[in-house]
Amino acid sequence: MRRPPPLGRAVAVALVTAGALVVFFPLFWMAVTSLKTPPELQRVPLRIEPDRWTNLDNYREVFARQPFGRFLLNSALVASVSAVSSALVSSLAGYGFAKFQFPGRQLFFFSIVGILMVPFQSVVVPLYLWVSRFGLLDTYLGILAPDLVSVFGVFLMRQAIEVVPSDYIHAARIDGAGELAIFWRVILPTVRPAVATLVIIKFMWTWNELFWPLVVVNSPSMKLVTLGLVSLTNMYFIEYNLVTAAAVLSILPILAIFLLGQKWIVRAVVMSGLKG
Amino acid sequence: MRRRTHLDRQRRAGLLFVLPALAYFGFVFLVPLVESVIASFYRTVPGGASRFVGLRLYEKVLTDSTFWQSVRNTLTLLAWSAPATIVLALIVALGLHRLTSVRWRSVWGAMYFLPFSVSLVAAALIWQWIYDPVYGLLNYLLGFAGIPPQKWLQSLDQVLPALAVTNIWVRLGFDTMVFLAGLQSIPAEYYEAAEIDGASRWQCLRRLTLPLLNPQILMLSILELIFNFKIFDQVYATTQGGPAGASQTVIMLLYDTAFKYFRLGDASVMAVFVFATLLAVTLVQWRVLRRPVEY
Amino acid sequence: MRRLTWSHLALPALVLIMALTLVPGAPLAQPKKLVYWTHWEQNPDFNKWYAERSREFAKKSGYEVEVVTIPYQGYEAKYLAALIGKSGAPDFFNGIAHQWCGQYDFCDPMPADLARLWDESIPRYMVPIGKWKGVRYGTPIEHGNFQQMYLNADLFKKAGLNPDRPPKTLDEWLSAMKKLTTGDGTSGVVGFALRHKGHPVGITDKFLPFAHAFGARMLSPDLEKATGYANSPEMAAALQFVVDLVQKDKVASLALGGPEDAFGQKRAAVIFRESWFFGWLKKNAPDVSFKVAALPCGKACPGAGALFPWTNLVGKNSPNKQAAWEFIRFISNAKDDLAQHESAGILPVWTANLESAYVKARPDYASTQEMLKQPVPPTYFHPKSNELATAFGEAVVNALYGKGQPKPLLDEAAAKMDKILKD
Repeated sequence: MRRPPPLGRAVAVALVTAGALVVFFPLFWMAVTSLKTPPELQRVPLRIEPDRWTNLDNYREVFARQPFGRFLLNSALVASVSAVSSALVSSLAGYGFAKFQFPGRQLFFFSIVGILMVPFQSVVVPLYLWVSRFGLLDTYLGILAPDLVSVFGVFLMRQAIEVVPSDYIHAARIDGAGELAIFWRVILPTVRPAVATLVIIKFMWTWNELFWPLVVVNSPSMKLVTLGLVSLTNMYFIEYNLVTAAAVLSILPILAIFLLGQKWIVRAVVMSGLKG
Repeated sequence: MRRRTHLDRQRRAGLLFVLPALAYFGFVFLVPLVESVIASFYRTVPGGASRFVGLRLYEKVLTDSTFWQSVRNTLTLLAWSAPATIVLALIVALGLHRLTSVRWRSVWGAMYFLPFSVSLVAAALIWQWIYDPVYGLLNYLLGFAGIPPQKWLQSLDQVLPALAVTNIWVRLGFDTMVFLAGLQSIPAEYYEAAEIDGASRWQCLRRLTLPLLNPQILMLSILELIFNFKIFDQVYATTQGGPAGASQTVIMLLYDTAFKYFRLGDASVMAVFVFATLLAVTLVQWRVLRRPVEY
Repeated sequence: MRRLTWSHLALPALVLIMALTLVPGAPLAQPKKLVYWTHWEQNPDFNKWYAERSREFAKKSGYEVEVVTIPYQGYEAKYLAALIGKSGAPDFFNGIAHQWCGQYDFCDPMPADLARLWDESIPRYMVPIGKWKGVRYGTPIEHGNFQQMYLNADLFKKAGLNPDRPPKTLDEWLSAMKKLTTGDGTSGVVGFALRHKGHPVGITDKFLPFAHAFGARMLSPDLEKATGYANSPEMAAALQFVVDLVQKDKVASLALGGPEDAFGQKRAAVIFRESWFFGWLKKNAPDVSFKVAALPCGKACPGAGALFPWTNLVGKNSPNKQAAWEFIRFISNAKDDLAQHESAGILPVWTANLESAYVKARPDYASTQEMLKQPVPPTYFHPKSNELATAFGEAVVNALYGKGQPKPLLDEAAAKMDKILKD
């Protein structure tokens, strides 16, 4: 890798670091707000620190009001399945679109991307009726229905696989490898960073879905974290102390996965960097 | 004759690869989409029945000033959010890429990405709290610089830029990560070759990096367009389209029309409009921005 | 080359997906459940009461009530999808009659004897609530849905006013506001906490007491016309009055956020709110000493009126609708009405309970009695009420924000409303 001059690098580092802190600050603010009591929130002039750093009352209240632990579990399950299935099917499709010529290629691709352009609010009722006909209301599969494959994933994988040198593929074909084997052994390892990105992003996206779960879930035991959070706002007022506590709870698992997955992602990224 | 079977095999393989995705989307989205388009030709009358009215609803919606106001608001919000997000993401990704320490890259990278992990509603609510004219952090900090308290989300002029900041905050990490993954995939020897040729940093950026990132730039341009055009959750959870309709986006109007005013047909017309507009702009972007990249 | 490959993930993923399809997510519904949907998340005790009370009911009928609380945000979409879909729909639900029974045909009419019982047991202004075209479909569940005047007793005293003798007319009220105002809310105190942000429907809801006090009404009595009513001289005068509060008299401020917060933080001395508000105050602003009074009158008195008449309705397509009506019949008595509303801290619905010890001990007892004696204000129970209120509310907000003069804005709104009505 090219070695940048020390000064240029120092400036870049400083800017990136400063930017990261600025971007992070609202989350810090959110965490701090979750440690305050309602009267503290109404205090003026503003005080950044909470009265008690160990004030976990809001968290207790969030768990007391609803089975929030169960919500976390449900969200984790749904998001995991969605991420894995998306990664798989999107990669397959992305490869097909990137490296193969077949009739209707452009049309099919744009049809898939076109789905992103459809406002979900306008398909929610027909989709709900179909899910209902199949008896999938209030079930995990029902919640997963619109999230099993990601349009963004197809897009991302196509763009990523496009730049893989076709020579690798030709070479493998000459060696007599089957198409699926080529996909498994040649393509996927090369685009690991993109796949890792997709898994993480799809996990997060599904984790934060609100509208569809709202429509399809009825039982408290099937609710997701987002539904739990939005229940803390109502038509009259917003309890910021509780909302922020719920939001912090909803980020923690993602944070954990991110930190745990970091090593694996980094390894994938570093390895592909060395590959060139 | 050998070439013919090779091509056939190619074609068949390609179709098989895309088949699972196509089948899934066809069933889960295409069918409801078609049903929704059909609904744009029907009107729900009191009592719940539907009556076929042809293009009348199209005429009604497309001549409604409220509808066009919402389109204007959406485009303004888009203009404030999308370019800034992409440019900032590129800068940040380049900066992160420069960090040689992988550990620090992951730490700062994670910080940029964290806002994406907050649901849109939570992000909107946090920012609404920050923007609060009386108790909000922003006015408090601005007070130190001698700036009087601003109304932010309650101001006719400031509401859209203020919402745009929330959008940029949420999306920045996502775009950065995509750019970063793209940057990591560029083989190192390209830079080494350029260095040998005596290329400067700027030239490397312009002639090498940016063109090689073209697939990502194109994709993110399209995705940011789509995301910002479809904004709903953040606005619904905070301003509800206010003040005085200044932040009412197309999808917010669509939701109200469908579920608060019970005019599903009109809402379907709006959906068709959104879809057609986005499709047209995306096709234009695809034609104009796309440059085939291969090594 | 690799320790963990994608192929290692494919099999578990497939197994997981297969398992998910076979495992029913929610516990299989016990036989004989009456499903009740409500979006009243802010009153969890009130909602829970149905389930608890139904245990007694189950002994006779075998049906228990399962309460499902739905987030208010987006509830319309969920209701619509479920009620159209039939399966997965609730047996009975909390909604507005003229929407779900008028615009759509999802409601089952109440058995005649039960309807008669309710007509006789509730205050005059509540009788039309839950009815559509004269037929009763549902039971009103909330009595405190009309606004009353909350005033900060300490701020009144400080301004030289007597909190026990609140202003009765709009003129008295305005001069009181002026005495109370010492700043614009961000600094100092503002007289009136005005609702100016959020969805235009809510804005209309909070403006109507002023409109009715000026003798104006939003629609014609038969709810067929808006022009001549929504833009009548009286309505323009009412809107001008409210606009002046902000711009001329400066007793209300657009810089403040939610009026509830403003009042709780003692930045505003007076707010018009429904009966649930003092429960909120006790919890979130316990150090505000307040009194509740009747709304000031102008040409007419605002009276007890509601734009959002929440009722319990029974689904027409529910297989358990008979049992649902039986349950409603079971709880249709003064004792249950009192118990349920007392548990949530809101006003009971039955007239008989308005003299109970619980109600007499409430801070809004006297004002409630006073306002109930006033003539019933106009109501707008029309299927398109949301859309009409939105068009009207936009005129109000535009005027408040100085985007036009009251009369032309109201003319525009009335024209829009007529278009909506004719559609």
